[in-house]
Amino acid sequence: MSEARSDGGKWLDAHYDPVASLYTFSACMDLADLHGDAESKLVVGDLGTGTSGMKLKVYRGTALVSESALLDLPTALAAFLMDLHEPRIPAIAVASGPFIYIYKNLRPYFKFTLPGLQVNGLEQDVWQQVREGHIDPLTLKEMLEGLREKAEVPLSVRSLHFLSLEPQQMDEFVSLHKQQPIRRQTVITCMGTLRKSTADEDGVSCLVIGTENNDVYVLDPEAFTILSKMSLPAAPTMMDVTGQFDVEFRITVACRNGNIYILRRDSVKPKYCIELASHPVGLVRQGKNVVVGCADESLQGFTQKGKKLWRASLPAPVTTMAAMELPTRGFQAVLVGLANCEVHLYRDKNLLSAIKTPDVVSGVCFGRYGREDGTLIMSMRGGGLMVKILKRTATFDERDNAPGPPLAQSVRLNVPKKTKLYVDQTLRERENGVAMHRAFQMDLSRLRLASSLTPVSSSLSEPLKMNAVVQGLGPSFKLTLNVQNTAACRPVMNLVISFLYDEHLYRMRNPYLRIPLLVPGLVYPVQTFVECTSDRGISDIIKVFVLHEGRSAPLLTAHINMPVSEGLALN
Amino acid sequence: MGLLDKLSGWLGLRKKEVNILCLGLDNSGKTTIINQLKPANTQAQEIVPTIGFNIEKFKSSSLSFTVFDMSGQSRYRNLWEHYYKESQAIIFVIDSGDKLRMVVAKEELDTLLSHQDIRSRRMPVLFFANKTDLQDAMSSVKVSQLLCLENIKDKPWHICASNAIKGEGLQEGVDWLQGRLSFIYGGLFAYTYTLI
Repeated sequence: MSEARSDGGKWLDAHYDPVASLYTFSACMDLADLHGDAESKLVVGDLGTGTSGMKLKVYRGTALVSESALLDLPTALAAFLMDLHEPRIPAIAVASGPFIYIYKNLRPYFKFTLPGLQVNGLEQDVWQQVREGHIDPLTLKEMLEGLREKAEVPLSVRSLHFLSLEPQQMDEFVSLHKQQPIRRQTVITCMGTLRKSTADEDGVSCLVIGTENNDVYVLDPEAFTILSKMSLPAAPTMMDVTGQFDVEFRITVACRNGNIYILRRDSVKPKYCIELASHPVGLVRQGKNVVVGCADESLQGFTQKGKKLWRASLPAPVTTMAAMELPTRGFQAVLVGLANCEVHLYRDKNLLSAIKTPDVVSGVCFGRYGREDGTLIMSMRGGGLMVKILKRTATFDERDNAPGPPLAQSVRLNVPKKTKLYVDQTLRERENGVAMHRAFQMDLSRLRLASSLTPVSSSLSEPLKMNAVVQGLGPSFKLTLNVQNTAACRPVMNLVISFLYDEHLYRMRNPYLRIPLLVPGLVYPVQTFVECTSDRGISDIIKVFVLHEGRSAPLLTAHINMPVSEGLALN
Repeated sequence: MGLLDKLSGWLGLRKKEVNILCLGLDNSGKTTIINQLKPANTQAQEIVPTIGFNIEKFKSSSLSFTVFDMSGQSRYRNLWEHYYKESQAIIFVIDSGDKLRMVVAKEELDTLLSHQDIRSRRMPVLFFANKTDLQDAMSSVKVSQLLCLENIKDKPWHICASNAIKGEGLQEGVDWLQGRLSFIYGGLFAYTYTLI
């Protein structure tokens, strides 16, 4: 239940078997109604230990219902309808090595072998001579090594195996194999299915296979003949197929050279190419777009013509990817298995949900399992099997718990159209930029000068600051001068203040004041009283000078605009 | 209601009508169970997946049941809640062979029991752990454990193992339901059953 909570309670934990001993990848998992009872089963190509224990397993519900041994490692598995016979039971195709094994009703039905490749003529001649006894194994080894160096056509697997042997094993190997003709074969690397002529869910499908030899084949569903052959510049590793063979189709192939090629009907060569900065490790189609998981921990979206749409960073390397489609709800997303034991669900570049798993997920598969449409099946690296069911009521909000910029950032602002005035203004600004800046700077300094209400002395030895406050309604006013020494540590002494005023208008008790020693930083209020002697309702300026004793040039001057006296003098 | 009607109701002569909702996941056997409970001459031979819902009627010894047999397919499950208000009891059917979807059944049951039209009512809930004839079927005890039925404290509930195709276990469930409903809605003489 704790897991369900971490992803917002969207998934129900239906089943978890940590010791299912199921070792597989997404390519070897498929869901199909194998018995025609409207109940989907899980078909898995189990890789076993890698050398033994390869099995074709079928799960129904929580139980393993069928198990049959496979001869070789499966590289891909697909369930597909190969004919129109009733009941419509899909066949299973298991690709391994150069073969495709077809199972019907879980019984072996047919084995398709890839066509052989051209064999090096010289190599053939050499082995012919060995058969006739003309050369011994050591000479054979020398000749084959020479051939390997310069031959255009690569050597067969048999010759390569022979070259890797120790001298004492050579005789036995040669006597065992020399009678058989040389064959050169390629192996299947990936497989997909392609509807033959109808887009219906129950339409007959062709198998599409990619080979180590850089080819892509489309096989006839019934006769298993090659319907179409296309070539790629590199060996394919993953593919996605969409469309119908008879109408129009598109095969998106991720190749080992780090590129993605898009093949279309009636073109032997790739139509479009996506060159990635990093190797692709997962390929899923979402609607008309292709989503690629890259080895540099990123997820990238491309159009079907190869144009890059977006890129999202992932917290850990990608282990596997699968498409999640719920046609009944019109929902499409991409499941990404990560190496940090999480499965992330992305719609375009937005993270919709993150599922925590107890182990690293190696294979993911989403679809109808049993009778439940939204079932997520995960195979773990440690051999576990986990089944989760999407809740009926679960909804995925865009941007749900997605880290990154807030939603408001992507909202387009309603910017009005540019007017003629705006354009003219912009042009004028562009042409006269320097002059405008200068004019602005000049105005700014003027403004600063005009607005500097507190006089400041520029003398370096006596840096002083002063402001004046006039209190009272008249005719008597109180004049307070706040003097401050702004020096860092040096005190200032021997300062005096004197006033200059119109003696017809004002009378001051003492127009000459001594200032005490000014300690740096402190504000010293110096107070005096001014009396207005006029009763005509006029006012004047009083000039204040801060002087150094014995010097006539003032350190600081200030003009005080006296207010109009509102009271009448008594005498 | 006339005096005679009332009297016959008290005496248990006229059968009390109850509405019952039959719910459960798709393919759990709801329609088959209801089909078995119907009178033998009206039973359908072939059961097909229900679309939307069916209304069926049958009678027990003291009650007349009207059953809303709802479709269990996920796309129709949102119809269920529209019928909660006018029903007096719920039959919840579980496929005891479907271990995988037991969580889905539990989820639907939890949603059902926490719905505002159900939550505050003491309506009886009858569970059928159906398909017990299947080889890998779970016992009714196991089913009730998986569904956490012991957590239902405010409603009378009962679980029966059943095999709807043969009709096994159905009567036991209906008897319990009848007893419960008679206790709540029935006339003076109606509840002659010892209640569990």
